[in-house]
Amino acid sequence: MAIGRWLGAAIVVCFLTGLISHVLQHPPGWMTGLLPTRPVWGYRLTQGLHVASGLAAIVLVMAKLWTVYPRLFEWPPFRSLAHLVERLTIALLVAATVFELFTGLINILQWYPWPFSFTQAHFAVGWIVAGSLLLHLAVKAPLIRAHWRKKTSDVDAADRRALLAGVGAAVGVVTLTTAGQSFTPLRAFTLLAPRSPDLATQGVPVNRTAAAARVSHASADGWALEVTGPRPYRITLAELNALPQRRVRLPIACVEGWSVNAWWSGVPIGDLLERAGAPPGSALRVTSLEAWGYYRVMEMPAQYAADPQTLLALRLNDEVLSLDHGYPARIIAPNRPGVLQTKWVSRLEVR
Amino acid sequence: MRIILGVAGVALIAVGLFFLLPLPGLWGVAAGFAGAVALHDAIVGPLVLLTGLLVARLPDRAVVRGALISMGALVLVTLPVLLRPGPPPNPTLLTLPYGRNLLICLGVVAVVAVALVLVRRRR
Repeated sequence: MAIGRWLGAAIVVCFLTGLISHVLQHPPGWMTGLLPTRPVWGYRLTQGLHVASGLAAIVLVMAKLWTVYPRLFEWPPFRSLAHLVERLTIALLVAATVFELFTGLINILQWYPWPFSFTQAHFAVGWIVAGSLLLHLAVKAPLIRAHWRKKTSDVDAADRRALLAGVGAAVGVVTLTTAGQSFTPLRAFTLLAPRSPDLATQGVPVNRTAAAARVSHASADGWALEVTGPRPYRITLAELNALPQRRVRLPIACVEGWSVNAWWSGVPIGDLLERAGAPPGSALRVTSLEAWGYYRVMEMPAQYAADPQTLLALRLNDEVLSLDHGYPARIIAPNRPGVLQTKWVSRLEVR
Repeated sequence: MRIILGVAGVALIAVGLFFLLPLPGLWGVAAGFAGAVALHDAIVGPLVLLTGLLVARLPDRAVVRGALISMGALVLVTLPVLLRPGPPPNPTLLTLPYGRNLLICLGVVAVVAVALVLVRRRR
C-alpha cells in the first residue's frame, strides 16, 4: 500500500536526521574530529526535516493503522509460530512508533509529563522503530514483491487513489501550517507551529531564558571573560568591544525544530585563542554563567574553534545581545545544534 | 536479501534495547508503549471506523473523507498545544492563538472541500 511506502520514507528520514542530531550534540569521542562545519545551514536543514518528517509521520501512521485495523481482529489470533512472531513484531513496531512520535510532538512544546529523560528514551526507541520496521519489511517481503508485480486493474483502484489524495492533503496542510518555524518561505502560513520567529525579541526565539538559567543583569555586571591557556588573561566587555569585530550571517537551529538566520557580530574565537597562545588545532571548553544546566559546560572541537565564522558574539541583528540571548557574550558557530551555542559565556579554556 | 533485512532489524532493536534498558524511569517507557497501543486500538480506531461507516453512504464520499482526514490530522497535532497545562516556559514558545488558528484551518479545509464538490458536480 502506498501509504506504507510514504510512512517508511518518513520514518527513514526521521531516523537518519535524528542520528545526525544525536552525533552533533553528543558525539562519541572518536567522532569529535570528524564533525563538519560546512554547510553552515546543515543542522538547520536536518533538524527541520526531522521535525517536519515526524509531524508528517503522525498523519501517515494513523492512516496506515486505520487501513489495517480490521486485521487486529483476525481469528484465530495466530495460526502458527511464524504468524505469532509476525504479529508480535507488528505490535512492537506500532508501540515504538506511536511512542516516538508522541514524545517528539510533546517535546517540541517543552512539556515533559513522564519519568524518563526525553533525549535518552527518544534516542533509544528510535533504534527500536528502525529495527522493527526492517523486521516488518523482511516478514512481509513476499507480499510486497507480489504487490509490485500486480497489474493495478482492480475495482478498488479509484477509491484507493482517492484515499491517497486525502491522506496527501492531510500531510500537506499539517506541513504547510507548521514548517514555517524552520523553512522561511512558509513563514506566512505558520498558524499552528510552536514557534514563530517573527514574534521573538531581536528576531530570534529563545530556548532557555535568563530567568530559567538564573542569570541576571546583576550577575553580568562587572563581568570579565576568563581565558586560560599558555598565556591566560581576563578581558572586560569594553576591551572585547575595542577588538576587531566580525559580522557573520549564521542560522541558529534548535533541536526542537525551529531555526532562523541572523546577523551576529563579535570577536572571532580564533583571535581570542591566539591571544592566549593556544597552539593551532586546539579544542575549547566553554563555561557559562548559568547556575545549572546540562549544557553549562560545552566542549568545542578544534575545527569549530578554528573556523573564521565562529564568534564570541556581542551583538545580534546589530543590537547588543538581550539578556535572554546571552548578554554579555555568547558563542555562535556554524552547523551546530542550538544548545551548544552557549550563552552568558564566562570562561574559555584552551584544551 | 530477506534474511539480511531481518538480521539487520533484530540488530537495530538490540542496539535500542542496549540504550533503553539502563535508563531510569523505564516503567514510563513501558507504560507509554502499552498506552499507545491501547489508546489507538480501543478508542481512536473504533471512532474512525464508525466515522468511515457514516461517510460511506454520502455522495462525494472521496472529498468528504479527504476533508475529514485533513481535519483530524490538524486537530491531532494541535491538541497537545491546547491541552498543555501551565504557562509556556518562555515568552517565545507557543506565541500564537492556537484555538483560533485551528478553527481557521478547519474552516479553510471545509471551504476547499465544498468548492471541490461544486466543481466536480458542474463537470
